[in-house]
Amino acid sequence: MNEVFASPFFGITLSILAYEIGVLVSRKTKLAIANPLLIAIVLCIAVIELAHIPLESYNAGGNLIAIFLGPATAVIAISIYNQLSRLKKYFIPILAGTLVGSLASVGSAYFLCKLFGMGDVLTKSMVVKSVSTPFALAISKNIGGIPAVSVAAVVITGILGAVCAPMLIKIFRVKNPIAAGVAIGTSSHAVGTSKAIMIGEIEGAMSGIALGLAGLLTVAITLLLKF
Amino acid sequence: MKMMLQIGVVFGICLIGQTISVFLPIAVPGSVISMVLLFLLLFFKVLKVDHIRKKADFLLQNMAFFFIPAGVGILANLPAIKDYILPLLAVVVLTTFITFGASALTVQGVIAVQERVVTGKIKRKDKKHE
Repeated sequence: MNEVFASPFFGITLSILAYEIGVLVSRKTKLAIANPLLIAIVLCIAVIELAHIPLESYNAGGNLIAIFLGPATAVIAISIYNQLSRLKKYFIPILAGTLVGSLASVGSAYFLCKLFGMGDVLTKSMVVKSVSTPFALAISKNIGGIPAVSVAAVVITGILGAVCAPMLIKIFRVKNPIAAGVAIGTSSHAVGTSKAIMIGEIEGAMSGIALGLAGLLTVAITLLLKF
Repeated sequence: MKMMLQIGVVFGICLIGQTISVFLPIAVPGSVISMVLLFLLLFFKVLKVDHIRKKADFLLQNMAFFFIPAGVGILANLPAIKDYILPLLAVVVLTTFITFGASALTVQGVIAVQERVVTGKIKRKDKKHE
């Protein structure tokens, strides 16, 4: 049986089935928590844990899916290009939003980790949680964090952002789609951006810009603060 | 443009983006560099949106799906976080909400200031003309 699970077709088929179930549940229930991505991840984990399938077997197919993340992020450039006039007009607010957001992310992660009595190394691993994985990995290694902890925090943050984005827009009474997009990209990087794209093109484009800017700014902030 | 060619264009840009990211002194993900590259190609009219629209729509509409393996991959990181999973979750939830609020309110605030400045300038101009 192990040969079957080690085939790339296993990981791909399982992921597609789990995602389609997620889409279906999301459509039927219309609940924010019934996010297709969240449901798909939980289902995939449940299947491979219950059937004792090694993660490497799933990844034979999973890696082929993950390959598309790079191209998917790149084509956000089209949305940004379509929103060029808005980007020019509101460049200062967008930059200010990502800067304040990135500072709030690093700052609040630092102080909350200290508050909860987490050690230095853990704190360093957590301050990078709002930027996409490649940024986070590089910074975490650089400042002496644990890469595995950083990756876990980044992934959980992204899924949380994607699930909670519509709710957060309501809670903070965000009326402007530019503000909503920047907030999603700054707080929950590319995973949140996948949700922003579904909310609207302005939100998607702004989230795409914000995820790049927030990554660069977080590199700068962690260098300047000398963590 | 034909689908196969569209895929070739997008993947080619990603290959260049990844190559550049290897040679940059600071860690910028290849995907972010590819995004900037594609934006520049569109901006300088080397590429038209129509050239890659079909491929782009497919990628954007299914972006969440491509994150499933990253989410499942958290299994590999569980041993590293299992001893402090609760404080870690608390920090993640609180900071994500704080970050969202801080950036959304900043954008709206700065837009409001910017628009007041712009309308102020227009009013002053109007007065001069009077």
